[in-house]
Amino acid sequence: MKKSVTIGKILAYILMITFTLLTVVPLVWMILSSFKPHALIVRQPLAPPFTFYVENFILSWVQGHLGIYFLNSIVYSLSATFVTVILAMSSGYALSKFHYRSGRIIYGLYTLGLLITVHSVIVPLFIMETKLGISNTRLGVILPYIAFGLPFQVFLATTYVKGIPDSMQESAIIDGATFLEVFVKIIIPVATPILSTMFIYTFLGNWNEFVLVLTLTSDMMIRSLPVGINSFAGGMSRDYGLQFAALVIGTVPMIIFYMIFKDKIAQGFAAGSLKE
Amino acid sequence: MTYAQQKHMSYWILVLPGILVFASIIIFPVLFSFSLSFTTWNGYGMPTFAGLENYRTIISDSVFQHSLRNNLLIVVISVFGQIPLGFLLAYLLHRRMVRHGSFYQTMIFLPITISPVVVALLWNQIFSSSGMVVALVRSITDNPQYVIRIFENQQLAIVPILFVLLWMHTGTYMIIYYANLQKMTPSVLEAAQIDGASEKQMLMRIILPSMVGTIATTAIFAISGSLKAFDLIYAMTGGGPAHFTEVIAIYMYVNTFKYYKYGFGSAASIIIVLLAVGLILLLQYFSRRLERRFE
Repeated sequence: MKKSVTIGKILAYILMITFTLLTVVPLVWMILSSFKPHALIVRQPLAPPFTFYVENFILSWVQGHLGIYFLNSIVYSLSATFVTVILAMSSGYALSKFHYRSGRIIYGLYTLGLLITVHSVIVPLFIMETKLGISNTRLGVILPYIAFGLPFQVFLATTYVKGIPDSMQESAIIDGATFLEVFVKIIIPVATPILSTMFIYTFLGNWNEFVLVLTLTSDMMIRSLPVGINSFAGGMSRDYGLQFAALVIGTVPMIIFYMIFKDKIAQGFAAGSLKE
Repeated sequence: MTYAQQKHMSYWILVLPGILVFASIIIFPVLFSFSLSFTTWNGYGMPTFAGLENYRTIISDSVFQHSLRNNLLIVVISVFGQIPLGFLLAYLLHRRMVRHGSFYQTMIFLPITISPVVVALLWNQIFSSSGMVVALVRSITDNPQYVIRIFENQQLAIVPILFVLLWMHTGTYMIIYYANLQKMTPSVLEAAQIDGASEKQMLMRIILPSMVGTIATTAIFAISGSLKAFDLIYAMTGGGPAHFTEVIAIYMYVNTFKYYKYGFGSAASIIIVLLAVGLILLLQYFSRRLERRFE
């Protein structure tokens, strides 16, 4: 009995440590390599940087236009996330507390939306945006971001608002408040925890999004960071130092974001599957 | 304005903006895509009706067949790799089998924040001829000529990608299962422990049966995620060399945006949706049978 417990523990540690090393080692290697000039990376892949070759960062930032991409990513992620969360929350309130028959149909449509991938709409979307003249514009990126964020966020919001007791709304209505006032003054304050989860989860998804920007934009000035970093893989630069620097620029802010909001991100993932 | 009117109006103010955006950007294009899939169209002029021609061409195309096989391998590694490993890790953390569990949890979940494109380029570097793997193998085996040849093999080229997918997503499943395990009422387990149930009995008789629903839900995510796999593979290999690592989403993308075969591309995208729905229905059938057996 005692023996099997120890063996189990040893196996548990082996598994945990293996997975941790698999995450940490590549990232550390990436960061070390980003401070090495190209020749040293190629000749001695495992050697530590002998000097801090920061030229990699300066060059990749300037040549790769990473400043513009970074700014675009911030604009897309913040604006689309903000609108998605507001729309999802208001829908969540309407779909869980009003009990109209149309509510069920709308909720069903959103649930179906969970199954639909970007790829199954990308062709018509591209055609529609070209016809409307919003392809290759920031609006043409933000609108699809909102639409694809909605299904899951509506699901999260609806589930959460359902759990808010009806009595809170009823007493306010009896006191003469309108339903919109109830939404702003009661539902939103009570739902703050789920709102922040929704915001952080959606932000993460938007920040890392790739296909939509890749297909719907061609103008360099409005592309986002993942697409910008991807161009380092192609013919743009054979300089591995620059590539590693770009990867570090793409990763480090997200690792900091993760360290701050880890619990909220985990909640976002877990909330989709939690049984009531 | 009466109470009923006020309620009705508020309802539509709350719900309409969202559903309008959703319908015009997702619902309408899906229907559009479905009808385009029965036509030939290069983006100019009018689409010409082609019946099931696109579907027939796709299904008999050997590149598509290889892509489908790759997609199914991704489904397999997700459902039978990421999910059991994620569950195992979550279970070990939940049962406090290791000290400093939250540290390991933080580290294993971390890849979720990194953009698939960055992940792809990083692992390309790791697998490259001047990468970490080659350098390590060379120094361990003392063979300075070692090179990775797996990408040149039609059957095996997808394997490194499967590994990276496992690396990226196992942590996510771990987090999901961990959250669900925490929700279980501890009294049931305590009672079982007092009654002298072994670790294995508790896992098999109490914990796993109560997790069937969660596992089925995550398997749905895994299947639909696997079939739309694009970003990572596109940035890692672009489907190459010679279509060895191609998946349906890349097949669709190349045909649409490189060869301007809009009808053809639409048909490929509809096939992705149909496959996802089919596999999910199959999964639900099995999980319902499994749940009944545990009852």
